[in-house]
Amino acid sequence: MATEQPAADQTDDIQREIGHDEYDPIGTLALVFIYFIIVSMLWIFVYFVEFLPRISPMVVF
Amino acid sequence: MEIHKYEKIWFAAALVLVVLFISSVAYGAVGAGIQMVDDEGGEINPNEIGDHPTFEGYQDVAGTEASVTQVNESHYEAQIQANHPNFFPGEITVPEGSTVTFYITAGDVIHSYDIVGTNVNTMVIPGQIAELTAEFEEPNEYGVVCSEYCGELHHEMEGMVNVVSEEEWEENYTDDLITIDERGGDN
Amino acid sequence: MAVFADRYPDEAKVVRAALASSFLALLIGGAMGPLQTLHRIDYLRIMPSETYYTVLTLHGVALVILFTIFFLVGFYQWAITDSLDRPSEDIRVTWLWYGLMTAGAAMASIAILGGFTDATDISASVLFTFYAPLEAHWLFYAGLTTFIVGTWVAGADWFRSWWNWKKENKGEKTPLRTFMVLTTMLMWYLATIGVAAAVLLFLLPWSLGIIDSVNPLLTRTLFWYFGHPVVYFWLLPVYMIWYVILPQIAGGRLFSDALARIVFVLFLVLSVPVGIHHQYLDPGIAEGFKFLSASNTMFLLLPSLLTAFTVVASIEHGARQRGGEGYFRWLTALPWRNPAFTGMALAGLMFAAAGFSGMVNAGMNLNYLVHNTMWVPGHFHLTVGTAVALTIMAVTYWFLPRITGNPIFSMRLGLVQVLTWFVGMVLMSNAMHRVGVGGEPRRTADPFYDFEFEGVIGSIGELHLQIGIGAIILTLSLVLFFIHLIFSWFGISATTKITSEAPIRKPLSGKEHAPAVLENFRLWVAIAAVLIVLVYTIPIASIIAEGGLFGPDVSPVRPDHAPLFSLSGLATEWVVAGLAGAVGAIAAIAGVLR
Ligand code: HEM
Ligand SMILES: [Cu+2]
Ligand SMILES: [Cu+2]
Repeated sequence: MATEQPAADQTDDIQREIGHDEYDPIGTLALVFIYFIIVSMLWIFVYFVEFLPRISPMVVF
Repeated sequence: MEIHKYEKIWFAAALVLVVLFISSVAYGAVGAGIQMVDDEGGEINPNEIGDHPTFEGYQDVAGTEASVTQVNESHYEAQIQANHPNFFPGEITVPEGSTVTFYITAGDVIHSYDIVGTNVNTMVIPGQIAELTAEFEEPNEYGVVCSEYCGELHHEMEGMVNVVSEEEWEENYTDDLITIDERGGDN
Repeated sequence: MAVFADRYPDEAKVVRAALASSFLALLIGGAMGPLQTLHRIDYLRIMPSETYYTVLTLHGVALVILFTIFFLVGFYQWAITDSLDRPSEDIRVTWLWYGLMTAGAAMASIAILGGFTDATDISASVLFTFYAPLEAHWLFYAGLTTFIVGTWVAGADWFRSWWNWKKENKGEKTPLRTFMVLTTMLMWYLATIGVAAAVLLFLLPWSLGIIDSVNPLLTRTLFWYFGHPVVYFWLLPVYMIWYVILPQIAGGRLFSDALARIVFVLFLVLSVPVGIHHQYLDPGIAEGFKFLSASNTMFLLLPSLLTAFTVVASIEHGARQRGGEGYFRWLTALPWRNPAFTGMALAGLMFAAAGFSGMVNAGMNLNYLVHNTMWVPGHFHLTVGTAVALTIMAVTYWFLPRITGNPIFSMRLGLVQVLTWFVGMVLMSNAMHRVGVGGEPRRTADPFYDFEFEGVIGSIGELHLQIGIGAIILTLSLVLFFIHLIFSWFGISATTKITSEAPIRKPLSGKEHAPAVLENFRLWVAIAAVLIVLVYTIPIASIIAEGGLFGPDVSPVRPDHAPLFSLSGLATEWVVAGLAGAVGAIAAIAGVLR
């Protein structure tokens, strides 16, 4: 049975308020850094390993 | 405006990515010499394809064993017309180590000519001639598909490019081979 | 604060109507998904291959035109009303645009459905790109036009609200959600010029027999002038959800209001002059313009990469407020049991993956490798099919109570729903990418030829199996979504009403820090227009100069009709048994999860 619910977002579980000046998104920086590494490696793999050497037959002019 | 130091770092990294991508593409175009299909092929009236200089005599060529025209020792050209659900000619043959220039156009709707497992892949648009040149080193049999929806039998539209050994070429395909001078046309 | 449905009952009604249309389209288009997938891989064929293309047209149009855009207008109406805190200026106008859009949608759908029967000559089996010289019945073009005119009126309606709000709130900065709505709509006005020109000047008169030839390269180029920015029309409401609602659910606050605005302005400026990247392999367009378009496209990565940072940082803020610590451990402090949160987080993750396959698509010469192969639907089932569709599904677990006043039926069922979508799409999309690199073309009923494709890691047969399993899991997820939607929407078995909602928390760095120039919409539109002129004038002029405005005597070709289904005796039994089994199983799952 549906029990009483607020409109989907609860703020009860916030344990502390963190303001703008006390917050450094270091976890975010770590995640996007990993993404950066993955994407550049994949690009280099696809472009320079998979694609370019596939020269024969290759459109040349 | 307040922008966090980390976000600035990320922005710089993002710019690095963008530069990496653009420069790879530029290298592929200039360094490795991979040209895009472009406007070099020119225009054509889809109802009068045989009258266009590029396609002159192409029906005769399609009647030969190889279905290509010889330009010189190692250079061949192929004129191909796409009409739902066929390529005409459907199958062409060239010798190993040859350079092939394709001229492809459509008589009805938009198609594509995609030699599977290679980078030869172009849209085929009525009114336009797609021109592209490729080198075929090794003997192989390549399938060709039309990868643009062109009507209810689109899935039946396929073709073949045979790259045969020097010996096989000499033996089976040179007898009725048409050269560019014999065919006429202005290429 | 009182719940939105009680504060603005009239507007909430329009929002509900638009969402209902959107979900109806999702239902119809979604139902085509397994049908065409199982046909393609030759597991279950209940129609002739000729009919496949009518099914695919319905799938494409229903999902990427109707589902997405109806959701957008409903959601944006809520965003405008709620963030300006003022009712619609004239609710009749609001209903007018909804009516126009619905009428247009109905016309286009009838035209497509006509392709299933021989009883009329109405058909539109031209796929959602409707490239001439393939021709649809005029009803299809007229329907699309009416639909788009509806969106134009919607935009005007929202601008009018904003103007009146400004008069009463002199010197105040536009609220963030309204700002996002207005920039999206300005982008949309610029973008739809292309499709309006293609349809009104060429395709509609041509299908009516008023003109008898068109230039296929011209109408195609005009289509893609519109066809790229339309993807941002799907995406920007989702970005609004990620910027505004996702941090809220995560227990955090938007990291930076100003950056969110900058991102939307960048989309307004850069979205349109990139459409030629869909035409890398078209003859008749010079390479220089292709390269220009490729570079622009790469720069268009920037607003999305910035979004990734800002949104993740806002979520991390939530995690830390909930007690999260460390470089990565904070991830465990997030509300993963909430389907709204988990659905959006997974949608975002898939979008990051899609970012990569999109970069490959954008890579000009690299496009030779993937153009029109299954790689491409593999890519956009991650973008529009997951980043957008899954976010829309997930946000309903947050949004519905606000617009209906009824509680969510079951958060647990919701969680299973979003997870199954994710799993199904990982399987299907990954395998699609791989058969694509092997050369298997897209938009093909029967990709089995006289020769074989070679799969990349794994045979084509194995990959087809993955595609099939993925499609079935996705279908299951869709069914769960609809069961859940109906129970929640109508408050079936609900014992209480929702009467209050939490207001949206203020950003960490608020709008007072956003530079005033961001609100100078005239400036941004002017810059966008200049870029468009620079990128498009010469290619379009040369297409017209070389090929003629109306092309070289190109006549329309109407794909042949094919009957709806050819159920052989055996197939019928299988289908009926399968459907009955599926319904039973799903009812059981719903019961248990509840
Ligand atoms: C049950 C879920 C789904 C399944 C099983 C599915 C399956 C497929 C398959 C196999 C194709 C490729 C067909 C071909 O090219 O021959 C396709 C195309 C497509 N799908 Fe889906 N899909 C699903 C959901 C979605 C969603 C949610 C969206 C967008 C919101 C979407 C948008 C599209 C589009 C735009 C196309 C391309 C149509 C065209 O090429 O004209 N799909 N789908
Ligand atoms: Cu075709
Ligand atoms: Cu695009």
